[in-house]
Amino acid sequence: MKARSLAGWAVLLAAALATAGCGGSGDKAAEKARVRWAFMLPTSWDPVTSRTGADINTVSLAYASLTRLDKDGNVQPALAQSWTYSPDGRTLTFQLRDKLKFTDGTPLDAAAVKAFFERGKTQKDSFLRPEIESIASFDTDGPLRVVFHLSRLDYQLPYVMAGRVGAIASPTAAAKDKAKLALWPVGAGPFKMVEFVPESHAYFVKNPDYWDAANIHVERLELTTLSEPTTTIASLVSGAIDVASIGPKRVEEARARKLTVTTAPSLNASDLMINRNKPPFDDPRVAEAVRYAIDRGELVKTLTAGLGTPTNQPFPPHYFAFDPQTRDKWAYDPARAKALLAQAGHAPGSLTVEIVINPLINEGLPELLQAQLGRVGIKSRLRIVPPGSSSWQSEVYIAKRPATAVDGTVGRESPVQNLLAVYGPQGIMNLSGPYAPPAFLKAIDEVRATPIDAPQYKERLQRATRLGAEQSPSVWLFSTPFIVATRSRVKHLNIVPSQIRWEGVTVE
Amino acid sequence: MTTISEPAPPQAAPIVTGRTIRLRHGKALLRHVGGTLGITLPVFFIATLITFLLGVVSGLDPAAGIAGDAASPETVARIRTDLGLDQPVVFQYLHWIGGVLRGDLGTSWFNGVPASELILQRLPISLSIAGVALLVGVVFGLGLGLVAGVRHGGRLDRAITLFAALVSSLPPFVVAFVLILIFSLWLGWLPSSGYVPFADDPIGWLAAVSIPAVALSVDVIADLARQLRTGLVVALSENYVTGAVVRGLSRRRILFVHVLRNASGPALTVLALKVPMLIGGAVVTEAIFNMPGMGKLAADSALRGDVPVVQGTLVVSILLILACNLCVNILLGVLQPAARRRS
Amino acid sequence: MIRQLLRYPSARAAFVILAVVAVLAVFGPFLAPHDPLAQDGSALLQPPGTRYWLGTDALGRDVFSRLLAGSTVSVLASLLSVSIGLVLGVVPGLLSVFLGRRFEWINLRVIDALMMLPFLVFAIAMTAMLGNGLVQAMFAVGILITPAFFRVTRAAALSIANAEYIEAARLMGASTSAILRRHVVAKVLPPVAVAAASMTGACLSIVASLTFLGIGVVPPDPTWGGLLATDLANLYDRPFGPVAPALLIVATVWALNALADALRDSGRKETAA
Repeated sequence: MKARSLAGWAVLLAAALATAGCGGSGDKAAEKARVRWAFMLPTSWDPVTSRTGADINTVSLAYASLTRLDKDGNVQPALAQSWTYSPDGRTLTFQLRDKLKFTDGTPLDAAAVKAFFERGKTQKDSFLRPEIESIASFDTDGPLRVVFHLSRLDYQLPYVMAGRVGAIASPTAAAKDKAKLALWPVGAGPFKMVEFVPESHAYFVKNPDYWDAANIHVERLELTTLSEPTTTIASLVSGAIDVASIGPKRVEEARARKLTVTTAPSLNASDLMINRNKPPFDDPRVAEAVRYAIDRGELVKTLTAGLGTPTNQPFPPHYFAFDPQTRDKWAYDPARAKALLAQAGHAPGSLTVEIVINPLINEGLPELLQAQLGRVGIKSRLRIVPPGSSSWQSEVYIAKRPATAVDGTVGRESPVQNLLAVYGPQGIMNLSGPYAPPAFLKAIDEVRATPIDAPQYKERLQRATRLGAEQSPSVWLFSTPFIVATRSRVKHLNIVPSQIRWEGVTVE
Repeated sequence: MTTISEPAPPQAAPIVTGRTIRLRHGKALLRHVGGTLGITLPVFFIATLITFLLGVVSGLDPAAGIAGDAASPETVARIRTDLGLDQPVVFQYLHWIGGVLRGDLGTSWFNGVPASELILQRLPISLSIAGVALLVGVVFGLGLGLVAGVRHGGRLDRAITLFAALVSSLPPFVVAFVLILIFSLWLGWLPSSGYVPFADDPIGWLAAVSIPAVALSVDVIADLARQLRTGLVVALSENYVTGAVVRGLSRRRILFVHVLRNASGPALTVLALKVPMLIGGAVVTEAIFNMPGMGKLAADSALRGDVPVVQGTLVVSILLILACNLCVNILLGVLQPAARRRS
Repeated sequence: MIRQLLRYPSARAAFVILAVVAVLAVFGPFLAPHDPLAQDGSALLQPPGTRYWLGTDALGRDVFSRLLAGSTVSVLASLLSVSIGLVLGVVPGLLSVFLGRRFEWINLRVIDALMMLPFLVFAIAMTAMLGNGLVQAMFAVGILITPAFFRVTRAAALSIANAEYIEAARLMGASTSAILRRHVVAKVLPPVAVAAASMTGACLSIVASLTFLGIGVVPPDPTWGGLLATDLANLYDRPFGPVAPALLIVATVWALNALADALRDSGRKETAA
């Protein structure tokens, strides 16, 4: 390399850097209604094989569900205009909107819906199967009416249909290549995918055929993976992204940097999962001791900057499934915890447990739990398993190998669905699975069989929550709201309890 | 990365120094290239063997994952047979390397996408960062080294030497944070995350790539400057320089034509040693700047035990590094008249 | 030798810094004014003050105590990698000169191959796939720095393998092992010491990078790199937080490099004289 050409390069580079610095972001027309959102990518783009609750936030970009929730968590029409239960409650009929179609042009009619659920029942790797257990078979009644024949009473289904379960995928695409659907969604949602690089980003453009397209003002949505939490705010400030969730302790900084911070009620709750099939928790006294060892007030104060709320059940206190009778149980009582441990034959300091954690959970929570357990004489070691990965899925959710793990739920559209996810025999967050308390399961059946508008509904639901919380060893800790930081050009965020949605969101 | 390489003693040239020196004509150059290749190939196979063994030693097994959560031991055993996992390691390696040579790097155990596809999607990002970093490193490293060497002992020399010592003591992610602090948060000039393809928007590309590349290049600048300075100081004191001065050659001519040529050998050697650092070190910058490059892919895949993707990224990195080394080697042969004379 | 080194001002400074670091590494955990794991919920993210000299982290732990306690692990980790690199590099380095051609060829190619591995990515891959612990990380780094030791050893050994005085010793009936012990070791030791000093610094920085990425260290154990990473995360609340750990890392690495330079220089002068 000659010195002269080097000098030339240096000048070129300096000039280019200068232009890059000044010219920053261009002002193309297409960029105006573009939103860049940093979030997690789903475990699968096919609702049938998507595996975790948080997936619905991104799956619902490409798919519309049969119903949807409003901000208070009530069911509203979506793809389905209306639905009716037969008087005996054994059939449920959805009336679809007219002229719906998927982004591949396939009509979204009763036959397509039927095909989708049948795939959910039969496909080998379907994660939908337990969710639609109550439905024995599907029928069409004309092009716009889908009939579910139920094997048991289940008044939760309209709620369930508001999430991943009711996110109808194109039968044509599924018939062509099921594996591809996991990488390239074909739905009838607000957006249509135009580019996807696994674990990197997914780009979408507005889908003009979405039934509620009139309320979608975002022309282009660029979804990227979460950045390093320490640089999320820098990314927002420098304009690399427009919308991102931030931790509660970063709210002050975000506001100081002139970002808009929106908080909204969520169904999010953190827990310390406990496995009753693994020693030392095969002795219920040890599991109970852990309940009294946890100081939720300290967790909320130290970790959530006061934005969180303590909870000892898988719901935040504002939600209708939260059981007020359980509220005051298992208050912090280290003396009682020690006594229980002594009864179980564990002298202080003689017990060591391994807590499995993932790096995405609330910063500091595992260490704080470790310290609190230490105060009652339970020593612990932390072991990191990466989240969203096959190892967390297979180690924790499927193989249920850990004795304890720190995790949390983001909630589900139906409270029953959420209770089953955390306490049910097939629940991914039930570390003691396949064990599920029989009394709880009976209570769940009662809730299912109760119409939503029946006067006993709320009471029965809360009873199921109570039984689950009492009889399952997992310890619930606290709930944090949705905390979303945005650049000022993005307005009117639409956050429903179980997901972030894009209807009504505007971009300046 | 920091100073992994010693400020290189002459014998520390990358692969094949002895041959490099003996170049004379085009024919010799050809022979040199041939000889270099003759050594590069075994190196490639050993490096890939190490990579392959890493997967074997890890004890990670795709069979359980493929079979699903309710797999019987028989199913797992059958899948293992289908995948050839019950064969001796040597055969497994030959089978794998055969695939690699045909461009087949296997399929991700995690999302079923071919590893080569995942890598190809990320290659431009890693190459952009590493390439720009290399360019910045060479330009500023040589520039600073030249100034320091010529102004040997002066205030500027001492400032540059101090800068180089300080910077190569600093973990690279600290440099990245300082740059984010200044250019993204304080001045608000450059984005601190994300990537824009060059073809879409060249200026956006440069804006996205510049902070990570500069963060990565700082170490190259420091080492290169240090090496070139030492080389220059030695070369400037040699007899032929005094002779040239006596013969009345201009200072600039002496510096650029004679001295720099001779002093650039060790500097180039350092550069060759830096390439694995650039390609490997990008993982930290890619994590901080949330750029989906190859380093991040390798790290994420390693954490979730996705062996084919890890091996694939390593093989591609090794190929890139070998290619860079070949280039430097040939350049070294062309550039080193004094070395030739001495031998 | 040490007296000669002390003539360099940079070496004197380096010795002072390294002596402090050594004290920290050995006695750090005992010198800590607070329990490095104890959380004070009433004092989160405090700035430096009289009770907590360097302030507290997000869980109310004393940063100064954590820094002291982290010294042992950080220093030991680098020393462990360097020892692995030393053994794996020096022994084959020597043997490659004195054993046969074939052995030499294979050795050289393996070392070349190790040098062709993308450094940090390979360290991460190896650590993660072998079980993501500090020992695994140190082992990976140790293997990757092997070439540095191999090459300096080999260069020094080559320079004397055919030297006349060795020939003379052989003629005088000294056994090969005696020659190796007396002459070669004396000649090889100085450059290896130089490499060891600068590699220890490099390893310290690499460990910091790995811990920054969450590789190799499990909470709540403190390390310098880990502390630097958390301090960078809490930059808004504690703007000067990263200064102390960064300074500690930079000073130690600088001291090791300065020592290496001084060693090299004094070695050169010795041979020249």
